[in-house]
Amino acid sequence: MNRDSIDMLNDSTFVENAMVNEHDSSAHTATVRNFQSPKLRVENLDFHYGKFQALHGISMDIPEKKVTAFIGPSGCGKSTLLRIFNRIYELYPDQRSSGRVLLDGDNILSRDQDLNRLRAKVGMVFQKPTPFPMSVYDNIAFGLRLYERLSRTRMNDRVEWALKKAALWDEVKDKLHQIGTQLSGGQQQRLCIARGIAVKPEVLLFDEPASELDPISTLKIEELVSELKDDYTIVIVTHNMQQAARVSDYTALMYLGKLVEYSDTNTLFTNPGKKQTEDYITGRYG
Amino acid sequence: MKLTGELDLNSPVSSHSVALNLRKGERLDVLFRGSALFSALLVFVIIVAIVVSLVIGAWPALQKFGFGFLTSSQWNPVTQQFGALVAIFGTLVTSAIALLIAIPVSFGIALFITQLAPTWLKHPVGVAVELLAAIPSIIYGMWGLFVFVPLFADYAQPWITDHLGDWPVLGMLFQGPPMGIGMFTAGLILAIMILPFIAAIMRDVFEVVPVTLKESAYALGATTWEVTWHIVLPYTRVGVAGGIMLGLGRALGETMAVTFVIGNAHKISGSLFMPGSTISSTLANEFTEAVEKLYSSSLIALGLILFLITFVILALAKLMLMHLAAREGTRS
Amino acid sequence: MNLYRRRLFINYFNLTVSTLMTVFGLFWLVWLLWTLLSNGLQWISLDVFTQITPPPGSTGGLANAIVGSLLMTAMGVAMGAPIGVLAGTYLNEFGRASFFAPVVRFVNDILLSAPSIIIGIFIYEVMVVSMGHFSGWAGAAALALIVIPVVVRTTEDMLRMVPNSLREAAAALGAPQWKIVTHIVYRAAKTGIITGIMLGVARVSGETAPLLFTALNNQFWSLSLDQPIANLPVVIFQFAMSPYDDWQHLAWAGALLITFSILCLNILARVFLRTRKPGH
Repeated sequence: MNRDSIDMLNDSTFVENAMVNEHDSSAHTATVRNFQSPKLRVENLDFHYGKFQALHGISMDIPEKKVTAFIGPSGCGKSTLLRIFNRIYELYPDQRSSGRVLLDGDNILSRDQDLNRLRAKVGMVFQKPTPFPMSVYDNIAFGLRLYERLSRTRMNDRVEWALKKAALWDEVKDKLHQIGTQLSGGQQQRLCIARGIAVKPEVLLFDEPASELDPISTLKIEELVSELKDDYTIVIVTHNMQQAARVSDYTALMYLGKLVEYSDTNTLFTNPGKKQTEDYITGRYG
Repeated sequence: MKLTGELDLNSPVSSHSVALNLRKGERLDVLFRGSALFSALLVFVIIVAIVVSLVIGAWPALQKFGFGFLTSSQWNPVTQQFGALVAIFGTLVTSAIALLIAIPVSFGIALFITQLAPTWLKHPVGVAVELLAAIPSIIYGMWGLFVFVPLFADYAQPWITDHLGDWPVLGMLFQGPPMGIGMFTAGLILAIMILPFIAAIMRDVFEVVPVTLKESAYALGATTWEVTWHIVLPYTRVGVAGGIMLGLGRALGETMAVTFVIGNAHKISGSLFMPGSTISSTLANEFTEAVEKLYSSSLIALGLILFLITFVILALAKLMLMHLAAREGTRS
Repeated sequence: MNLYRRRLFINYFNLTVSTLMTVFGLFWLVWLLWTLLSNGLQWISLDVFTQITPPPGSTGGLANAIVGSLLMTAMGVAMGAPIGVLAGTYLNEFGRASFFAPVVRFVNDILLSAPSIIIGIFIYEVMVVSMGHFSGWAGAAALALIVIPVVVRTTEDMLRMVPNSLREAAAALGAPQWKIVTHIVYRAAKTGIITGIMLGVARVSGETAPLLFTALNNQFWSLSLDQPIANLPVVIFQFAMSPYDDWQHLAWAGALLITFSILCLNILARVFLRTRKPGH
């Protein structure tokens, strides 16, 4: 079975291994990278919105403390895939997944996975900035209070730490008690990132985090993403290929719910293994 | 030319009749527009007329008693002494009890419908709760007096008096003979009557909370309760407050159900288990009996006070809900 | 992880309470309906519909009250609904840019929630006093005043759901505005407007307070709206508060009748609206 071949391939770390997926009798051959100890391992993942199948047999490994980007035309399933990693889709009763997603070797799709704990480990930043209807300070403290009982001073320290980490501290240190929605769009988005990292997750998911922002704010977010990868495993969905090329170490191209090609970013953009990939990155479709 | 020939052949409308039709259309336009405007004006005139007629009707009483009408607890048709305090007190107390009960219940229902109920159950539960609002007031009154009151007097009331009656200060509220009727019963029935209104508005405003906002709270690992309490409720607080005010407006003016169960005593008492009266119950009971000018004028003055209180409350509710709607507009 | 267990506990506890609150709310509905069925069903007979309200101690029915209620409701709706539809039309079709429309909308919402007993006093003042006696017309007028805001509100809401492109398409053909509204917009919003009127009917059918001082009651068979006229809510009120068993039985029968008619109207109105939606 497919599992065996993956295990076998694991021995050769970081070697380009084009391997054929078990579902690939049709066109969707995927180049799956294999790492010694992937942070996330996706195995034969299917996903349904009601009767519509949005993902078909996705298998891939996501490396630790790197930036992995998902690109592809809209509707290709890249956001859907991201939303499985913290099981946020569970909010909607008609959405379901099958297959396995291993986080440090544990299947997060199993029934007895505690969703709140999973989400403490896997943070998420959304397309639209979503500051909570409370002060800047409380936006950060909200998440912290969910997991830790901190004294006033420790709490202040942690809020400051998170805001600094998100490169926002200097801009908001005088307006910590203003309501979060009064910040600019870019600041709001960095506030959401700060809120996400305050609880010290291991993985950070970004769902098109800059698509609603102006170019300068976008640049700041991209810089931030590059800095954060020292501490976190980052997965970012973007419809902007230049952005993927700038920020990511590995890139996966998806099309119609299938993984087309997955390799290190440089290779994917300069020397794509597939005609389909080449067509996409040169703008011939999508 | 050919063109004119075509016109004559194919168009049954000569330019003359087109002009006529247009003029007729214009006239009907003015007529239709006028009657629509007239109807809208009428709505406005009705409110003004209500206020004016209440003021005129209440004038003799207001002239006789002046400001003292509001502060006097006298209500004596024999000596022709009238004051509104007892009725105002009863109205406010029963409405307060109604809100105390209805707010948490409505919140629970709205939370259940928006966050907990499986999809197939949402709609039926919503409709069932709204049907509570459709049942006529008089039915609540009959049920209250003939079904609820005896049970309450026999079972609940003695128990409450035994267990809470001895408490310092608070105990005072629950003393008295177990009659079943009184301000507490009236407040409870009012609560059941207004909870559909509050629950419906809470449900509606909860549903406008942006999905991404809720998702980002869930993505931090917050529980359903935490998302509701810390995110949804603060986000919708203006709308929720508006809904509560709307419920309050209903409770203040509710007549028949209260008239059945409040006991209709013109007396202020500290215990919620004692009979009292509200503005609307006083009106319902006494208006047709009041022959003397001053008596009926005093009753109309009560009506005026009721109208003013509900007007202010409803206006506030409306402003709050409009404020929320405006914020929605700028967001999306 | 003590904090975490506490959080989960609070969550489950509060969600359970929320579910119980819903059960609590629905419990009253069930209890009320059960009360009506168990107390009223046994007294429903043909007599209720054919005999008039009896003096205490003898048998009778509610025929005059039922007919009186139907008559007054019909007149009230006949007076109130056109005004409501037209005013709602003004709000959505003509008054969009005017300063007057928001004022009317505001006032209408106040009227919608104003205590109905105040409407009763108002009509008493302007009609009963000047005519010198209680009358069916006064009762119908009071009901009309309650119907108007309900219909205004739903009409405006329903007209707003009609897409502008329809109006533009009609205007592009050169249709005058009255024709656009009556032939195109009303037709598109027909079910919605009718639903609004049905809800108005449901709302006034059970109204008691405004009839106490306007239509009063009449223990005889009378179809004259110039005279006091019997009507279900006031008869129920009077009979329920009376010490006579016969009267109380009739009150329960009437209560059952009126509640189930109103619930049916309400449910019908909803079904009506929902069946329309897919086509919309």
